[in-house]
Amino acid sequence: MTLGVAAVLLMLGGYDPVQAAAAMLRGSVGSWNTFVSITLVRAVPLLFAGLAVALAFRAGVWNIGAEGQLYVGAVAGVWVALTFTDLPGPFLVTSALTASVVAGGAWALVPALMKLRLGIGEVITTILMNFVGIYLAAWMVHGPLQERRGVFPQTDRIVDAARLPELISGTRLHLGFALALVLAGMLAFVLQRTRFGFHLRAVGASPAAAVVAGRIDTNRVILLTFLASGAIAGLAGGVEVTGLTYALYEDLSDGWGYTAIAVALLGGLRPGGVIVTAIFFGALQAGAGAMQRDAGIPAAWVDVVEALVILAVLGLDRIRAARVGHHAGEEAL
Amino acid sequence: MSQPFVRLQGIKRRFGLIQALSGADLDLYSGEVHGVLGANGAGKSTLFNVLGGLVSPDSGGIEVEGSSVKLRSPRDAWARGIGLVHQHFTLVPALTVRDNLRLGVRGHSLTAAVAAAEAKMERTGLRVPLEANVSELGVGDRQRTEILKALLRDPQVLILDEPTAVLTPEEADGLFSVLKDLARDGRAVALVAHKLDEVLAVSDRLTVIRAGRSVMTAPRSQVSVRELVAEMIGDGIADEVAMGGQAGSSSDSVAVGTVQVPGGASAASPSTERGRMVVASLVGVYADRLKDVKLEVRAGEIRGIAGVEGNGQHDLALILSGRKSPSLGLANIPKEVAFIPQDRHAEGLVADFDLTENVALALSRMAEFGSRVMMPWGVLRGEAERIRAQFEVVAPSVETRAQLLSGGNQQRVIIGRELALKAPMLVAENPTRGLDVAATSYVHGELLKLASEGVAIVLISTDLNEVLRLADRVSVMTKGRMVEVSESQKTREGVGALMLGGGEASN
Repeated sequence: MTLGVAAVLLMLGGYDPVQAAAAMLRGSVGSWNTFVSITLVRAVPLLFAGLAVALAFRAGVWNIGAEGQLYVGAVAGVWVALTFTDLPGPFLVTSALTASVVAGGAWALVPALMKLRLGIGEVITTILMNFVGIYLAAWMVHGPLQERRGVFPQTDRIVDAARLPELISGTRLHLGFALALVLAGMLAFVLQRTRFGFHLRAVGASPAAAVVAGRIDTNRVILLTFLASGAIAGLAGGVEVTGLTYALYEDLSDGWGYTAIAVALLGGLRPGGVIVTAIFFGALQAGAGAMQRDAGIPAAWVDVVEALVILAVLGLDRIRAARVGHHAGEEAL
Repeated sequence: MSQPFVRLQGIKRRFGLIQALSGADLDLYSGEVHGVLGANGAGKSTLFNVLGGLVSPDSGGIEVEGSSVKLRSPRDAWARGIGLVHQHFTLVPALTVRDNLRLGVRGHSLTAAVAAAEAKMERTGLRVPLEANVSELGVGDRQRTEILKALLRDPQVLILDEPTAVLTPEEADGLFSVLKDLARDGRAVALVAHKLDEVLAVSDRLTVIRAGRSVMTAPRSQVSVRELVAEMIGDGIADEVAMGGQAGSSSDSVAVGTVQVPGGASAASPSTERGRMVVASLVGVYADRLKDVKLEVRAGEIRGIAGVEGNGQHDLALILSGRKSPSLGLANIPKEVAFIPQDRHAEGLVADFDLTENVALALSRMAEFGSRVMMPWGVLRGEAERIRAQFEVVAPSVETRAQLLSGGNQQRVIIGRELALKAPMLVAENPTRGLDVAATSYVHGELLKLASEGVAIVLISTDLNEVLRLADRVSVMTKGRMVEVSESQKTREGVGALMLGGGEASN
């Protein structure tokens, strides 16, 4: 149905829907190289940010701040990569990524403390921190970290030692993709097998029962989850600059921190699900790029089609959930 | 009485793996109060939800005034004059009682609604503070508001699911006279309540539901309690349950013989064991709703704390169980305290977790269940299996989510889990609220058995009969203060007067 709506919309706009669909498929999964170098590469930041959001949401922490955390992570990573150029290869890139993790976590610390100490809802504070993070990055590339030529709003390119190696030679796919998969595995393990993960899920599913039946220190769980979520979102930014762009630009992120929310929810807030949906969204963005280039469809139309696909998947997901049947509080046995 | 106002026939409904209703029938005539009886999980709530439009049946027919209808939503049901009072609350916490009452009434002006509410309160004795925010109210007041809300809409059929669970005996009596008045006015009333004697006292006709099926419908005057219990439970254990259950424990309207709870009430002879070890003590304890509370609990005793809902009992329960610190005063509490909280759904269980995970919620604190880092799921699953078997939890497997269980089975999971903690003290807060006779008797038996094993038990309950029957020593909470009840006052009337004295003073 969505496809029908999208097709009608495209026709109303005067574009050929068949041509658009073909471009979409060609640009995302048209060939092995397209899939690896474009779709999977697009998926990497969505994967990290999606995992960050999924982790937080599982604990009932509504971290909408992945976008800002991603930007400060990128800033910190680039700064380390540009400053400590004397460090030998593996140490420099590791240090840069560590800086991203710390910066992302620190960015999340502010809303976390405001929530726990002052009782201010994290939805508002994380959104506001996004603006601060985004404009901090913008100021950096216009000011302190701007390239030495001083022409474009971007940093100098980082040295080779600060770059993540490529994962499959001859493609643009870098080690960050593998890191993300490993991280997803780790998170799945933590959630299902460890005490902390169990406490995290309990706090998310029922804070009252977590306290009364589980005697869980919910504040500690919320604080640690918030920090971990911010750290992972920060890593998304660090991996992007060390793995792909090798520099920080003003508009590094295409709203990945927000798309990550859809990625996480559609992935059922499960790490394995997030891998699938992040790659799906990566394909969508890759295909959208091809629609612009090959079918000549303007970016705004592409965004509309993308949004329709997301709505359709969300709708299907909800219908499926309703079929399975959630009848809370129903006396049934 | 030629044609029923509402007729349900062959109603079937399945939730996932669980067949909640497998052919239930119910006729409601105008002018009658109709009591629906059944064990926990028999399908009473589901049947009422079908009638109230909350749950649509998989098959079966619904007729209102002789014509076949479909009730797709509570709105549909209300349009047919059928009003459901919920077991779980449906009030908006952020609004005042007055605004909540207004929400239920269409086409009335504000002042008319308030006037009508006040008139209803006057007539029924169901008093609620109109200007208070619902979030500030105790469960009892919320229940009263819920019932008032339904009455204000003037239904032809009023369906009440466990309306008296949180009311004092006087308030319950008030409600029943309202229900009888409604019937006399030509309305139909259908009612589920966990106290058998209450249902029997108020009902004109009775329907018994067992395992999702209607097994008996008869006028009240033509059946005996023993027959009813036999139908509710099925074969075999009926006598034992009738003896041990709540029915007849105090009411003179029903004679069920002497009360003998399995596990042996006689074993714990009241307050003769003064020499026993003090397990927990509170001295000069203050909290949000507690004032200068002093309490001592000894090993092997059941310390009963009675009181009208909302007089500080919940704070007391949280502090005694170590879930909360007093804002002032000294609380000497064992490191681990087993706790049966009053709100099973919100505090006792994580509805979305399966049985193993819910068992793990408490047991993972114990040293023998693994390291500080990992969850030993294999061991915990085994423990959940053991609890399911030993406490006879009716669930397809330990992977069943807690929210699919009936109230009685949820309570069994909680009790099994908390007992497995082997703590020196157990705090139970309204442990039988909303449970049927069999489940109530089971819970009481477990409490007495534990006490005889030397565990200190604090039983906090709004059910006066329960406290008087089980407790060795009784205190009453009013307005956050604790009053110890002397041996001579330890009667239903004596304690009731103490409870009400505080209840009235707080209004």
